Amino acid sequence: MAVRKIDIQQAVMAADMSYAKKIRDKLAEKGILMINLIGSPGSGKTTLLENTLGKDGLRSAVIEGDVATDRDAVRIDALGIPSIQINTEGGCHLEANWVDMTLEKLPLEDLDVIYIENVGNLVCPAEFDVGEDHKVAISSVPEGPDKPLKYPLLFTEASAVVLTKTDLSPYVSFDDDLFWSDVAKLNPKASTLRISCYRKEGLDEWSSLVRSWLEEKRRG
Amino acid sequence: MHELSMVKAVIDALDDLYEANEWSAIKSVTLRVGAMRQVIPHILTFAFTASIKGTNLEGAELVIIPVPIEFLCRSCGGRWGESDLGYLCPHCGSKDVDMLQGMEMDIDSLEVEE
Repeated sequence: MAVRKIDIQQAVMAADMSYAKKIRDKLAEKGILMINLIGSPGSGKTTLLENTLGKDGLRSAVIEGDVATDRDAVRIDALGIPSIQINTEGGCHLEANWVDMTLEKLPLEDLDVIYIENVGNLVCPAEFDVGEDHKVAISSVPEGPDKPLKYPLLFTEASAVVLTKTDLSPYVSFDDDLFWSDVAKLNPKASTLRISCYRKEGLDEWSSLVRSWLEEKRRG
Repeated sequence: MHELSMVKAVIDALDDLYEANEWSAIKSVTLRVGAMRQVIPHILTFAFTASIKGTNLEGAELVIIPVPIEFLCRSCGGRWGESDLGYLCPHCGSKDVDMLQGMEMDIDSLEVEE
């Protein structure tokens, strides 16, 4: 039998990219901002949300991605903020088709911002477009200053880089200059924030950034 | 294991083409994979071999064409790659930088038996 070479030239993730586009179109029509929070397990993603949601004057909802448990969704529910938990059951990231299904369960008419709290992981979530307006890289002081160069895709794709747990800096000899100089080389246009939820520092700056993204989106 | 998700997407995309074209077999699949994608080739190959059993791709070989990272400075025209990774021009310090290649994750071509 004859073997023939056939040229394809098609994105591997074409099907998922069409879901991401569907999500973007829907949220553009509703004027809702979507932010994809990406960071290691324990970097403080949920804690940042707990410290800002409901206090920033915006109507928010959260889609929680975790391998197992609804613990993060329970923490968000306790604030009176709509949240939906997706359990990936082993999967290391969220994909657009899941997010699309989840959107139907959220009160879209009454929202300004949807946060995706992705599965705790610095590699895979950076790879998959879930229809967000902005990816945010969250890195915590105890993880050490070398994360940007070790996980360059996330830090180059992110619209903002947030360093959390800055209050721990003196105890772990965190090299602040190294961290931020690597971020500046990888992604000189990214917004940069230093946050301590323990000391309530940097939270207003974060809320202002979210508000400016929302205003920018609604201006079109 | 984003490699596994990518392999599943390849299988789904090629299923449709296989049915539509009435090939008797797909002998090989060639992917173009950018270095920025953080894909580990042997894990991609392992995921492919494990996932194609019982699908229209059963028996196919996976060929990976690695695509190196290349940035272009729109201010000075300088070009660089992985050694100076990032959107800051190492030649003139400009932030007006494009990534020319390195984010590919494409099905390049197939070898099919008709």
